Amino acid sequence: MAADGARQWWIRPAIRLGAAALLPVVVPAVITGLIWVLPGDPASLICPPEICSGTEELARRWNLHDGPVHFFMSWLADAAGGDFGKSWRIQQGSPVTPLLLTAIPHTAALVGLSLMMLFAGALGAATRVLPARADSLLSAIGLVPTVVMSLAAAAAVSVNYGASAFGDEAVRVKILLGALALGLADSALAGAARGVRGIFESERQRRYVQMGVLRGEGVLSNAWPNAAPAIAGQMRARTLHLLSGAVVVEVVLQIEGLGDLLWSGTLSQDFGVVLAATFGFALLSGALLLAQAAVEIAVALHVRRAPSVVAT
Amino acid sequence: MTRGRWLLALLALAFAASWVVPGFMAEQHLPNPDLTMRLAPPSEMPPFGADDRGRPLLDYALQGAGVVGIPALVAGLLVALLGITGGLLATVGGGRIEGVVAAAGELVGALPRMMVVLVVALLVPRDARGLMPIALTWALLAAPGAMDEAAAVASRLGGARFVEALRAHGFSRSRILLYHVVGLNLRPVVVRQGAETMMQVVFLEIALSYLAIAERQGSFTHSDDTHSWASLLDLGYKVVLDLPSWHALGLGLGLIALVAVTAVTASAAARAR
Amino acid sequence: MSMTRNWKRLTMGALVGLSALATCGSTLSFYEESLPTTLNPLYAASMVDHRVNELVFDRLYYHDPITNELASRLVTQWELVEQGKAVRLTLRKDIKWQDGKNFRADDVCFTVRAMLDPGTTSPIAEGYRSVFTGCEVEGKDKAIVRFTKIFHNPLNRLGFYVLPQHRFDGDAVPPDHDFSSHPTGTGPTSGNLGSKQVNFQGTQNGHHQPTITELSLLEGQDPLVQVKTLLNNGVQGIIAVPPPYRAEVSTSDDMSLKGYDLRSWWFIAADQTKPYLKDKKVRQAINLLLDRTDLRQLSIGVKPGEQNSPCEFISGPFVQASPYYNHDVPVSARSDKDRALALLTEAGLTDVGGRWHYNGAPITLRIGMKAALDNEAPDLLSQIGNQLGQAGFDRQTYKLSEDEWNTQAITGQLSSSYDLLIGKWSFGLVEDVNALFHTRRDGRGSKNIFNYSNPQVDALLAQYESAKTDTQARDAYHKLHTMLAEDLPYLFLWKLDTKSAWRTDVRGTTIAPYYYWTEIDNWKYGG
Repeated sequence: MAADGARQWWIRPAIRLGAAALLPVVVPAVITGLIWVLPGDPASLICPPEICSGTEELARRWNLHDGPVHFFMSWLADAAGGDFGKSWRIQQGSPVTPLLLTAIPHTAALVGLSLMMLFAGALGAATRVLPARADSLLSAIGLVPTVVMSLAAAAAVSVNYGASAFGDEAVRVKILLGALALGLADSALAGAARGVRGIFESERQRRYVQMGVLRGEGVLSNAWPNAAPAIAGQMRARTLHLLSGAVVVEVVLQIEGLGDLLWSGTLSQDFGVVLAATFGFALLSGALLLAQAAVEIAVALHVRRAPSVVAT
Repeated sequence: MTRGRWLLALLALAFAASWVVPGFMAEQHLPNPDLTMRLAPPSEMPPFGADDRGRPLLDYALQGAGVVGIPALVAGLLVALLGITGGLLATVGGGRIEGVVAAAGELVGALPRMMVVLVVALLVPRDARGLMPIALTWALLAAPGAMDEAAAVASRLGGARFVEALRAHGFSRSRILLYHVVGLNLRPVVVRQGAETMMQVVFLEIALSYLAIAERQGSFTHSDDTHSWASLLDLGYKVVLDLPSWHALGLGLGLIALVAVTAVTASAAARAR
Repeated sequence: MSMTRNWKRLTMGALVGLSALATCGSTLSFYEESLPTTLNPLYAASMVDHRVNELVFDRLYYHDPITNELASRLVTQWELVEQGKAVRLTLRKDIKWQDGKNFRADDVCFTVRAMLDPGTTSPIAEGYRSVFTGCEVEGKDKAIVRFTKIFHNPLNRLGFYVLPQHRFDGDAVPPDHDFSSHPTGTGPTSGNLGSKQVNFQGTQNGHHQPTITELSLLEGQDPLVQVKTLLNNGVQGIIAVPPPYRAEVSTSDDMSLKGYDLRSWWFIAADQTKPYLKDKKVRQAINLLLDRTDLRQLSIGVKPGEQNSPCEFISGPFVQASPYYNHDVPVSARSDKDRALALLTEAGLTDVGGRWHYNGAPITLRIGMKAALDNEAPDLLSQIGNQLGQAGFDRQTYKLSEDEWNTQAITGQLSSSYDLLIGKWSFGLVEDVNALFHTRRDGRGSKNIFNYSNPQVDALLAQYESAKTDTQARDAYHKLHTMLAEDLPYLFLWKLDTKSAWRTDVRGTTIAPYYYWTEIDNWKYGG
């Protein structure tokens, strides 16, 4: 059984690597399919025929004249070169790439700051610096939905900054407040701390760790190889959760991020923007899958290099 | 079942009923405004006071319950069922099926859920707007995690060996699977996952509706005739703007807390021995 | 509670003080009803678009907001030529485009050619195709614009925004050109469309010397947030203050309410293609079921008998102050349920269990309203629904986004989706309603919501178009008013005054009717 498990260690990382490679292609392909699934001519989404009589010409200009496969392949080829097409509705005719370039750093900052909170909480839980009794308090705070925490912050920012709410200082304040809301709400921090604590407490009970402690070694240094894959999986799930919540935070706080872009694109049926935003999310998700697979592979190789010890 | 577990289970049911059942009593349309009762506190317009147009907040609570109640329950049940399926597959040694499910789960679970929800929302025709398709989508996205966790529990039991051992004691296969595996061991996991999903669907609806209110758009989750609990929060948060709408904020947060307590109580009941 | 409030007030006070220092001589910010849909004047769809165009571009001719006389910042001389079928315009030589290139007669003729080009799929351009036949350049600063016929007021036909030829590859101006987000004009400011705001930079030119160097347009959020932000000097103005909040603004010493002459009137369009709405008796009955006084009181807050009401009932497609309004057509201020019941019965509807049926099937009215109107008239949609519901009609109500309204409602695509649509039309000094009521054909009736078609109405509209004098035009429209009040393709509700709020440290705020920013050069702020 253990030998079978050892031989099959590569299956999960391989699935993750495959998913990471497929996602940035599959997601835009699915969105492209949806464009043609919706009723009506795709070009009419850009400009209805009642307003724009030259729909065929419009379709040609927007590469919609030759079916979904042609459109998708062209889009993919352009995206590989950094050209994500043009906005269909939100800023009709304007390239999407500058919108992405503005959005990605904001989302990265928002999610990054929240992740730092989560990592700090996880580290504190692993090292017992964050006591177990803090979990209840964090869980209670975590019951508050993200939208509620973002609301009060949004009102205060709007009233106090007014027109400057899109200036540099206000954007920084909004990102900070948004990161706080993201990290605390929806049990993000509580879940991270509780999850990591559970893993490490479970490992602490194991004999190999206790033996290591008797030898004068640290708990973390002994436990992390076993705990790393599980923690990587948890952190990936938490990051995805933060990315999900970022949509709400960005719209409520009016931060020009990927989530806000996706929301606006969805409301306006701006598939140019939706394609680019979902591609961005798919890339991030792929990167997370890669990171988790890398951790799993590293741990597996580390274990394989370690001397064999018969369990007693 | 012990008395404590019964009590917790009953409490969970009562909490759930308190915010699901009233949804069936909601009127389709809010009444006409009464501007003389604008922002009336609960003491002047029991039980919850009035909005900024003098209409009872009770109507908002009822309509909101009607929006979230059934879809949230259905989503929770779906996740619980799929979790049970994952656990049973691990117990009976699903082999290739398990592998396929795991791979599908990796793909499905790889994307931020909100992104998938918004893409689904793009497709729903205006007349068919409602929370159910979004709730089912959310449940399907949450299912791989539930299935994984249930499979881990089943694996710790010993999987097929566990079944064989109990068969040797004379128990039937169906009893072992339904009672020993699901009833005794998977119960805490699947109930917790189901309860969390139910809670998340409610919070998701509030978030989506609030975003729509903020953008002055129709919501994806309900018709424009109906009001979500998000309307209570939209009114309530204006206390920071010196609007005396504390009662709306309290009601909104109270309803959210009620849903959270339902989920926590249900999980506790499932865990209790 | 009092400590919290004191803390909030201290913080707000400090921030107000800091913002006041910070805003001296800096950006003039204001809330608009929404972000513009485009910065290309040929594709302007909403009032926000029209107002923004006035900041970025110049119209060839415009009405002076103070004297009401026709004026031009681009033309120094004009003369009628070719027996009155053309005008020769001599342009100023000292005007530059915002990118530094010289403004020339080529640009005027390019704009005319663009409007005539079938590749320019703009409803605004389409309207000019029945006016112009072409344009010819004479040297760098003279252009001859040719008309389809002799107009008795040809300069009135030259109120279009001039576009730069050098920004386009050919004569056609498509809606998806980058120009829609990053335009170049000769107006007092240059602007670029952002996703959350639009920033404008003042541009010194031969004909514009704005003293305000930066403006920032923000999308208005919740009206309460807007007013509080204005109070805290977070912004300096709100273009349209909803009626429920005007009292708070007017009582403040730091702000003032200013009238914005926008001849807007509210209506409920009825879809006559629906079998149960085809008979005008049903539309008349619905008209009588509505109690406008109650609607106005509960949604806008105007009590019955209130003096100087900002909201005046109308019985036709003009405001009462308009010379085209026919005062002989009475307004229906209160409901008349008995008469409505009689009309519905005459039309063949039957009352089954308190609900109206047509041909044995229950009638469910699908009522839509532009969502943005909810700020000005809160709950109007649900109140109309309730009044019709109490009268025995089942109903479902919907809110339409700006985009849906502009791309689907106005283009007549919502017949299958709605029975009644609540909206608002706004006009400048030229109240031309032809596009609203003419049969949608050959470019006419471009804003005919439910594709209403009545040959007699078409005839009256043609009479207006061919009128040679103001009296003839007025007579045509008076008859139109009477006919539409009888046929009711729209149920006419009211005219609602629009008021802007500006902080008192913004001085010289002359607000032009309809276009708003025509006199922005004279506005002063800070410093």
